[in-house]
Amino acid sequence: MTGENEVSDPGDADGTDDRDGDDIDDTRSTTRETLAQRRGLDEPVYQPAEDSGLLAEAGREHARGVVVEVGTGSGWVASEVTGAAAVERVVGTDVNPHACRRARQRGVEAVRADLLDPLRNDTVDTLLFNPPYLPTTPETEWDDWQERALSGGDTGRAVIEPFLRDAPRVLAADGRALLLVSSLTGFADVVEHAVDCGFHAETVVEESYPYETLSVLLLEL
Amino acid sequence: MKESLLDIVCCPVDKSELELEDAERDEGEVVDGRLVCTECGEAYPVEDGIPNLLPPDMREEA
Repeated sequence: MTGENEVSDPGDADGTDDRDGDDIDDTRSTTRETLAQRRGLDEPVYQPAEDSGLLAEAGREHARGVVVEVGTGSGWVASEVTGAAAVERVVGTDVNPHACRRARQRGVEAVRADLLDPLRNDTVDTLLFNPPYLPTTPETEWDDWQERALSGGDTGRAVIEPFLRDAPRVLAADGRALLLVSSLTGFADVVEHAVDCGFHAETVVEESYPYETLSVLLLEL
Repeated sequence: MKESLLDIVCCPVDKSELELEDAERDEGEVVDGRLVCTECGEAYPVEDGIPNLLPPDMREEA
């Protein structure tokens, strides 16, 4: 996520206003206000930011075959990777129905899903994931789609860990995952968990920002 | 969704194959219908071209 949006495509170039639902109450915490300023609280779909740009960069270089972007949000990363030479097909999944519609409008084949649950064994050549990774406490959590897109529980790894545990099941032989990791989430802890799940981990993109360092891990079995 | 998506997706509950039923197509895409698990029989809706493959206990959200 990080500060100002530097990605060339702001994600809402079509100018449509789809603030359709997802009640937002007034009990705003400091964390929430900060995030709201950065992200735009009215938008129920995570918009491309620096992290998206880095994952797209890694994806264009390292994605191949059948690609599934988990938590595709607006579908920006998925559409960026679609043209890459080694890529056959790109599917974007999200738990958020607004995100699925956005991604589909962008031309991405969208599936509403919880992480890797509805993916068949040994079918995916490349997984891409920019996970919700901000460490949050129950007091600073709020119940809407933006929170689901950002919050990684008290460690920041509440979504990353189940993803890593299930990824070997869905990956084809020689499959790989590209996972965005923030220093806020504990880079070493994520790598350790990936190794525990049977992956070899290599950093393929890294960029430092005032509040965090963002890396993309290439994970191979 | 494209019908070939069935090569990639399965029932989120028991990971069995899905079968497309009552499909409405538009320009080669399935825009409406349902995906039914060949094992447990659970039906997952396809609406506006997007299959909802959340497990039944999560489906009510938004």
